[in-house]
Amino acid sequence: MRDLAFIAFLLAFFGMGFKRPFLLVLVYVYIDIVSPQRLTYLLLNSVPISLIAVALAVGGWILADDKRDTRVGGRQVLIVLLLLYCWGTTIAADFPVEAKEKWDWVWKALAFAAFLPLTLRTRVRIEALLLFMILAASSIIVVGGIKTIASGGGGYGQLNLMVDNNSGLYEGSTISAVAIAIVPIIVWFMHHGTIFRPDWRVKAYCVALVFACLLIPVGTSTRTGLLCIGLLALLSIRNVKRKVAYLAMLGVLGLAAIPFLPSTFTNRMHTIKTYDADESASTRLAVWKWTIEYAKANPFGGGFNAYLGNRIRYDLKTTPGAAEAPKVEVDKARAYHSAYFEMLGEQGYPGLAIWLAINLIGIARMEFIRRRYRDPDGEYAWAGPLAAALQSGHIVYLLGAGFIAIAFQPFIYMLIGAQIGLDTYLARKRSEQSFRPMRRSAVPSPA
Amino acid sequence: MIDNLALGLSHGLMMLAAFLLLKRPDLDREPSPHDAPEKKPAPIEKPRRDA
Repeated sequence: MRDLAFIAFLLAFFGMGFKRPFLLVLVYVYIDIVSPQRLTYLLLNSVPISLIAVALAVGGWILADDKRDTRVGGRQVLIVLLLLYCWGTTIAADFPVEAKEKWDWVWKALAFAAFLPLTLRTRVRIEALLLFMILAASSIIVVGGIKTIASGGGGYGQLNLMVDNNSGLYEGSTISAVAIAIVPIIVWFMHHGTIFRPDWRVKAYCVALVFACLLIPVGTSTRTGLLCIGLLALLSIRNVKRKVAYLAMLGVLGLAAIPFLPSTFTNRMHTIKTYDADESASTRLAVWKWTIEYAKANPFGGGFNAYLGNRIRYDLKTTPGAAEAPKVEVDKARAYHSAYFEMLGEQGYPGLAIWLAINLIGIARMEFIRRRYRDPDGEYAWAGPLAAALQSGHIVYLLGAGFIAIAFQPFIYMLIGAQIGLDTYLARKRSEQSFRPMRRSAVPSPA
Repeated sequence: MIDNLALGLSHGLMMLAAFLLLKRPDLDREPSPHDAPEKKPAPIEKPRRDA
């Protein structure tokens, strides 16, 4: 039954895409985030819907889209450069078979991120992309939110998000970080959306969705998610008008929430303080040390999944403050648990540098747009707050990325694609505005 | 049950959003100052009788 519903949805969506080709881009966004083929048991599993969607999206753009004044952002060039670099490290990888497995999805995410801004020529398209990203992610977040309320959370790695294989956005830590990163964008829709005009229904749904997003770290008991919520609260201070009232409200809400938090969550959060007695945190530190040493010997990286070659030893305190000798643990092939070390180990210093440049330039560009379009009565009053939301989401992601290996998470590359699209869109508008006065002045000047 | 509810809600909203986008002319095209001169060239070039 669910299979048939998904097929009907996809057929209708594809059908609309043939009328307005940009919708085909949104179909691919939807398929990449929700992975309907993983939620069904028959039919969709056997059809390469993702491939069909991307072929139609690119084909639709080539054949039907207006390409006048197409601008290529500097970061698109960097993304292509990173793609080529990763291709090189995959060829020379330490573990060629495993590297090829990761390459197979990474190149698609990068290629789509480089392509996406070319299609974002209008404000409505930028908004539509973000709306579909949020609604697609909400299909996972709403499930997580309701189940957290119903069951008090499942504990770390226990919240059932419909898919068992723990990949993509269905992985607990990843969805925690992403759910918090999209909160500022949901809030933006409450004030500036035009597809769904922000009436009381839209605002109520947005508030409920933000609440569900905040519940995801609780339901999955991820420490990274809690850190992301804290950072988001700090970042939001910049964007609110009544800062004292906001801080007071934050404090009251935070205190009021504590009694309702499930014990699985609070117990896990207490382990942040005793990280040296915690295996998960200790292995991370040991793997990160290993990666730094590995990069010294292999400055150009070991290719995807190079962590499989690690052998680590770490001391684990048995009980905090106890006099007994620390327990020595030995382990191998431990994952990076950090996007920064993932890039350093797999793509070496050049790959890390390109990746950092893509991310940091994004934050800087959003800051530029945020300041330039801060006038609430200006023609582009929506652009400044959108840049602020995209920037806050990106900073939250960069914090989450410190503890999760999500350097190539496709969702984030779509967010970066939206940033580049916004940037090139506004640059085009600026050049049009400077073009306009020249024409006007050309007529009356002889007088 | 919860899964289907959340999937139905999000997919229903996506369908509605796609339907609303079909009716938005500004999805594909926004008015631009470049538009005006494109329509004009024909009458401007007509008076060139000396050529």
